[in-house]
Amino acid sequence: MMRTQRAIVGLGLLLGLAYRVQAQEYPRPAVPDLDRLTQELFAEAQNDQVPHEDLYETLLQYYQTPLNLNVATREELRSLLLLSETQITNLLSHRQRTGGLLSLYELQSIDGFDLRTIYRTAPFVTVHTPDPNAARGPLWQRIQQEENNALFVRYERGLQTRRGYTTPDTVRGGQLATRYLGSPDKLLVRYRVSRARDFSLGLTAEKDAGEQLAWSPSTHRYGADFYSGHFLVQERGRLKSLALGDYQLQFGQGLLLSSGLAVGKGAETITTLRRSSVGLRPYSSVLENTFFRGAAATVAVNATVRATAFVTRKRVDASFSQRQDTLGDYSEVASSLQLAGMHRTPSELANRQALRETVLGGNLNYASRSGDLALGLTAINTQFDKPLLRRPEAYNAYEFSGRQNLALSAYYSYVWHNALLFGETARTSSGGLGTVNGLLASLAPGLDVSVLHRSYARSFHTFYGNALSENTRNINEKGLYLGLKLRPLARWEVSAYYDQFSFPWLKYQVGAPSQGHDWLVRVTYSPTKTSLLYAQLRQRTKAYDADTLRLVPLPVPTERRSLLLFYDASPLPILSLRTRVQGTQYREDQGPRRQGYVLAQDVTVSPRPHLRFSGRYALFDTDDYDTRQYVYEQDVLYAFSVPVLAGRGTRTYLLTQVDVNRHLTIWLRYAETHYRHQQTIGSGLEEIRGSRRSEVKAQVRYRF
Amino acid sequence: MVKLYAVSYLLCLGAGVHEAQAQASTLGTGGARAAGLGQVSTVLENDVWAATNNSAALGVLTRPMVGFGAANKFLLPSLNTASVVAAVPLGHRATAAGSAAGVPAVVAAADAPRFGVVGVMAQRFGGKLYAEQALGVAYGYQLGTVRVGARVEVLQTSLEGLGSRRTVAASLAGQADIIPRKLTFGATLYNLNQARLAPYQDERVPTVLRAGLGWRTSEKVLVLVETEKDVEQDANFKAGLEYRPVPVLALRGGLATRTHQTTGGVGFKSGVFQVDYAAAWQQALGLSQQVSIALQWEQKQP
Repeated sequence: MMRTQRAIVGLGLLLGLAYRVQAQEYPRPAVPDLDRLTQELFAEAQNDQVPHEDLYETLLQYYQTPLNLNVATREELRSLLLLSETQITNLLSHRQRTGGLLSLYELQSIDGFDLRTIYRTAPFVTVHTPDPNAARGPLWQRIQQEENNALFVRYERGLQTRRGYTTPDTVRGGQLATRYLGSPDKLLVRYRVSRARDFSLGLTAEKDAGEQLAWSPSTHRYGADFYSGHFLVQERGRLKSLALGDYQLQFGQGLLLSSGLAVGKGAETITTLRRSSVGLRPYSSVLENTFFRGAAATVAVNATVRATAFVTRKRVDASFSQRQDTLGDYSEVASSLQLAGMHRTPSELANRQALRETVLGGNLNYASRSGDLALGLTAINTQFDKPLLRRPEAYNAYEFSGRQNLALSAYYSYVWHNALLFGETARTSSGGLGTVNGLLASLAPGLDVSVLHRSYARSFHTFYGNALSENTRNINEKGLYLGLKLRPLARWEVSAYYDQFSFPWLKYQVGAPSQGHDWLVRVTYSPTKTSLLYAQLRQRTKAYDADTLRLVPLPVPTERRSLLLFYDASPLPILSLRTRVQGTQYREDQGPRRQGYVLAQDVTVSPRPHLRFSGRYALFDTDDYDTRQYVYEQDVLYAFSVPVLAGRGTRTYLLTQVDVNRHLTIWLRYAETHYRHQQTIGSGLEEIRGSRRSEVKAQVRYRF
Repeated sequence: MVKLYAVSYLLCLGAGVHEAQAQASTLGTGGARAAGLGQVSTVLENDVWAATNNSAALGVLTRPMVGFGAANKFLLPSLNTASVVAAVPLGHRATAAGSAAGVPAVVAAADAPRFGVVGVMAQRFGGKLYAEQALGVAYGYQLGTVRVGARVEVLQTSLEGLGSRRTVAASLAGQADIIPRKLTFGATLYNLNQARLAPYQDERVPTVLRAGLGWRTSEKVLVLVETEKDVEQDANFKAGLEYRPVPVLALRGGLATRTHQTTGGVGFKSGVFQVDYAAAWQQALGLSQQVSIALQWEQKQP
């Protein structure tokens, strides 16, 4: 005991927070620096399709209900994405040897836990004695007493008038031009209360800009455009989880079922490569398509086997076309699934919730007592009420068609010494096979490597999967990924990956089988515990059809190379600085190199503990839309913003956070993009006359 | 008139156009020290020219200073710049201990002025046909390992026969010691209000954001890198190196990628005087030169 205490005091001093040791409670930061963490995990946003929000939400979820290091399983620790396999093994054996941790400071006495890891992990974990619910009365009382019990109301609006909100000025085919039906206000109301390993309850209502607030049961509209709600209870004896309402599932490597924990290829080249079987998770985000609606339950068959069954039935957006061929057994087919979740115009509204999807599935998971070996089986059957048939294009030839899809998969994960082997293989009713297998290994204390092989047949159809891939979906792809993380010196870290991929069949805008590769190198230097510098180089070569007059499409290699320099420091406790220089070169085959560039300076000042200002001034300059830049911005809590910058101009924002009292927090945000030499911004219904585009956002959180 | 054509021809000549346009602001002449270092200026310290380069760096000046500068571009008399700057510290810090929590007193530059430093600058560029004048006030303040600064200036542009225009530009600046006395970061934002000179073709004073790092590898050597972005121009990357073999002498070299300019310079420091000379070579346009003299008041004996 004496030894431990001495260790704690010494280490506490190391952290510079010795005075807190008495309380044995690490002071978790009031505002999690999620932006910095997401920037460290993601290499660079390259398109706006990536559902960053989902990962962001997951991290926030961990922040709100931190993972208890004293009871967390190996799989849960992996799902944090911040700990290496060796660190997890060392933590587990430390726990086994000395019992639970007494305080978070004790982490420093565990092999392999360097300060950077501890600082990164600290906001998302906690240390307390097991089973805090034991003496806390019935569930409804616990829900009532739970501190993290909050209502959010968010309002957002663009200040300039977009064409979609003006009166129609042109007539086409005897009809007035299309306009948005609703107002330009965006509204979000959300209530959430949760407790780790106990319960979660949440309700969300959202209306996007341009959408109508309408009451029309015949078109399934009840006020706001999107509602979501869930109720989840956990750890009730044998019943491990029971979810009603909206939920997400993740098993195996995410080939069939993957919730929002997918980072993809990023600057974290080791820990994010493997997916964790986190199982059933509540859903309270606003992405209108990445969840299940219905009921799901996980039951512990015995100490090592868990069974999950789920059923979901919901309506999804789809666009329709009349089938020309009258010999077919159906006349109306859905030609594509719409994922944007926008219902602003009459045609978008017509597609809204047009297809009914029923999903039935189950999972059987075995995890050995030590957690070293895990095996599982997943089955999932999807049924649509109308058949799905893509447009008759060559690249769609092997896409899913019909009403029903059954997918089966088996997965494994095994730790052997310093290596972790994992994989999943699945087959869908079309006969298509998908498999992903990988290895993470710590070769030396300062060196980690990873390998991942994937192969998704052109007829492999998975609707809710999101295993690692270059395509946005797991179809028509073969690839091999090699990753490396090296810590040559105390404050330095080098991470790199090389990924090679090929697409055996055609793709949208690629009229022949094609291939490509992608690599990244990031060198990180953290001179002090509050500052960080990194340089990152990334290059991707991928084929796209050339712009020629030939009748036959000719895919040519297209190269995108980007450089990122990032500096982040808080030289004073109240001040934080962040500078970002980002440049991109884009070249089609042997064509000219086009360039894009952004220089952004951020300042965050917190003059009083309850007051926080963040601002940015950025200059951007891109030759065209291909060299456009995506830059992370700070936003109100639970929102995530990565605007697209193309052309020439400046981007500024100012975000204020005020904690009025213990219950009430207010966020205000103003952002503006000012373009040079442009008379109009955007196109179509989003077009703005003038050279400025600005938005205001306000959010209120009330904690009960 | 021939002269006007000659000047506008030069202004439009390839890389020269950027160089000359950068003159449409006070960014051009920040003393011959910065000019010799490839115009890397965001991380320079202890220099009265901070009033034009990076007002945050004013914050460390402990004694009043005044500086005079003269610059010429491409050996053309109509591209002359003359400038004068002055800096006055306001009050002295009473105690030796730095006020910032968690920062060692040595690092926190204990003798930084208590109420910051005020700088003034005046500058004139051009000849009879085209001229620009700038008059500005800058303020810098040191806060532990961080310095912050701001500047407001009035800019006047006159073209013979076409009258003149006046506008106001506001700028912000910051410097931070990542590793005290070793690694310094600096950033400046010039003309954040995007001041407009004329509504015709939306002509504005350039808005320029710069960020740089300065690395003191040893007592004698300082390595500098900087990126600069003018909204209207391509990005510029600059690097500079200062070598101080003996305390009185400094040798400098630098380059800038966008303007394709290589620079060299020399500086002498003796007592209250500091004299710097810089030369820049541009392949197409030739030689530019700059000289500056700074005078520092003696430290008052307490």
